[in-house]
Amino acid sequence: MSTLEGRKRLQLLGLLSPATFVIGLFFIAPLVIMATYSMLEPGLYGGVEWNFYPDNFGRVLGWADGTLEEFDPVYLEIILRSFKLAAITVFLTLLVCYPAAFWVARQPEKMRNFCMFLITLPFFTSLIIRLYAWVLILRPSGFINTTLLALGINTPINLIYTETAVLIGMTYIFIPFMFMPVYASVEKLDRRLLEASADLGASRWQSFWKIIFPMTLPGVAAGSIIVFIPSLGNFIVPSLLGGAQVLMIGSLVEQQFLAARNWPFGAALAMLLMVAVLICLILNVLAQNRNKAGVS
Amino acid sequence: MLTLRKTTLCAALGAFLFANGAAAAEELHLYNWGDYINPEVLKRFTAETGIKVSLDTYGSNEEMLAKLQAGASGYDIVFPSVHMHDSMAALDLLEKTDINQSPAFANIDPQFLRAKSDPNGEYCMPYAWGTVGIFYNKTKVSKPIETWDDFFAEAKAGKKVIMLDDMRETLGVGLIENGKSVNSTNRDDLKLAADWLLQRKPLISAFTYDSVPMVQSGDAVAAQYFVGAEMYVKQEPEKLAYVIPKGGATMYQEDMCVLKSAPNKANAKRFMEFFLDPEIAALNTAQQTNGTPNKAALKLLPSDLRDDPQINPPADVMAKLQIFEDIGKALKLYDRTWTKVRTAN
Repeated sequence: MSTLEGRKRLQLLGLLSPATFVIGLFFIAPLVIMATYSMLEPGLYGGVEWNFYPDNFGRVLGWADGTLEEFDPVYLEIILRSFKLAAITVFLTLLVCYPAAFWVARQPEKMRNFCMFLITLPFFTSLIIRLYAWVLILRPSGFINTTLLALGINTPINLIYTETAVLIGMTYIFIPFMFMPVYASVEKLDRRLLEASADLGASRWQSFWKIIFPMTLPGVAAGSIIVFIPSLGNFIVPSLLGGAQVLMIGSLVEQQFLAARNWPFGAALAMLLMVAVLICLILNVLAQNRNKAGVS
Repeated sequence: MLTLRKTTLCAALGAFLFANGAAAAEELHLYNWGDYINPEVLKRFTAETGIKVSLDTYGSNEEMLAKLQAGASGYDIVFPSVHMHDSMAALDLLEKTDINQSPAFANIDPQFLRAKSDPNGEYCMPYAWGTVGIFYNKTKVSKPIETWDDFFAEAKAGKKVIMLDDMRETLGVGLIENGKSVNSTNRDDLKLAADWLLQRKPLISAFTYDSVPMVQSGDAVAAQYFVGAEMYVKQEPEKLAYVIPKGGATMYQEDMCVLKSAPNKANAKRFMEFFLDPEIAALNTAQQTNGTPNKAALKLLPSDLRDDPQINPPADVMAKLQIFEDIGKALKLYDRTWTKVRTAN
């Protein structure tokens, strides 16, 4: 008995150690480096000096020596603005993907596969090229405005280099990330439950909120997280479509590592961002657990 | 970029495969700004010497430095701006080449030996220089742009204007327009520059380097841009123009430097000597439409380039140009100011 158990344990150890090793090497190690750097003094030409230096976090959170480093609420403002834009992106992608997932799920299998192919098609082209295409679409002499002009509407809409352009771009690039998990949960939906609820006299509205929505919620939650986190740190879209007018946390971190040659402050900003994301995730998990407890 | 990398890879692989018989082919690896050398120059060098040249590119001094610091190796020659030349000298990254001992070094105008760490050209040689001014679409402006006030007047009339997404260049305009040095480390000076920019922030459509197509199409009427824009001006002289603002502007200069870690130092020196040849320097400058520190090359340039006051400005305009210096820790002051300018609405 004990030898069998021992062998099983050994087997498990053997199976788990490669994954643990990879995660340790490629996830934990960079994280430790980043956390360490965030508390060191910036080197004059990039890199770090090995002296403890709390002002990197102080600049954002409220303490600093006041001469070379200053506390400035502008960093919190940038973080909040990034959260706002990421949240709106999640909402917009959901708005597009939720009904689309239902439509695709109802198609015959061949059509469904074709739709999935179409959703993944944009990945075959570089993101930068696709975003430049959006510049051509959104600019004053671009596709949207020439179309409006042809329809007899003479006032060009100012789209390029606005927050709207950033939201359009972000929604566009993150739609596939939202669609996949939402579709997975919609496809699994048991239609007989809807028939049952209709038979029992539920209105369409009630069926949706009491049956469909709770059952697709895991997909929605997964999609929201997958979209929220990368859109929070995105700096390509704000730079290309927003004209760097809408400064987001990703651009700020980039600025610290390059133009400002302040690696520790860049690391500190990235750490703060990660902590903020972690708090959101934990709250999300807690809320889901509470929901589950409520259902059962 | 990607194709270049692939070519390099194939070349390296090829060299490896054929290395059994003959000695490995002679090589030279350049790390330069994007589109900052005439490909014809590299072809001529290979034809003349048999040395294979590879070219990788970067988008900013800081990107180049960060990559070298992070351990990128295998590059022989880099092209830092003057202030980065000084920073790299302080970091002991540059190789002493004694290029100033080459007879053809007499072609270099001594006023371009600007790096404080290298006043005699023992390490690097001046490569090219230019101004940062205003690139605009003549068919869309109400009158020719001559100053930054003209530039913002177009914006006030509801047209789009673009500035560079570049901390020091853009703050530099604010400093110049307030009569301050672009290397000022004085808080009050930077406050003046920031306020000047903040007042105009609502008028600026975007901060970006990708303004050329927007100005060509007329979607933006004017943009802060490098003298390299003359390349497009020469193609459509009735439509486009580049101008050095009356109140003064910044200038930039890159130097050609050999890295201490260079694997092919002898070939690198050979390339520097090759580039001292006035004919080669002129070949490069004619394609780049910028300035050359090579006096003899200047004479060989087509007259429309040599005599263009926006490319080779007269002495009184030259006197108003300012060049960036390494400002050390004061960079933090610029960073904070720039973040505020970019965040304001």
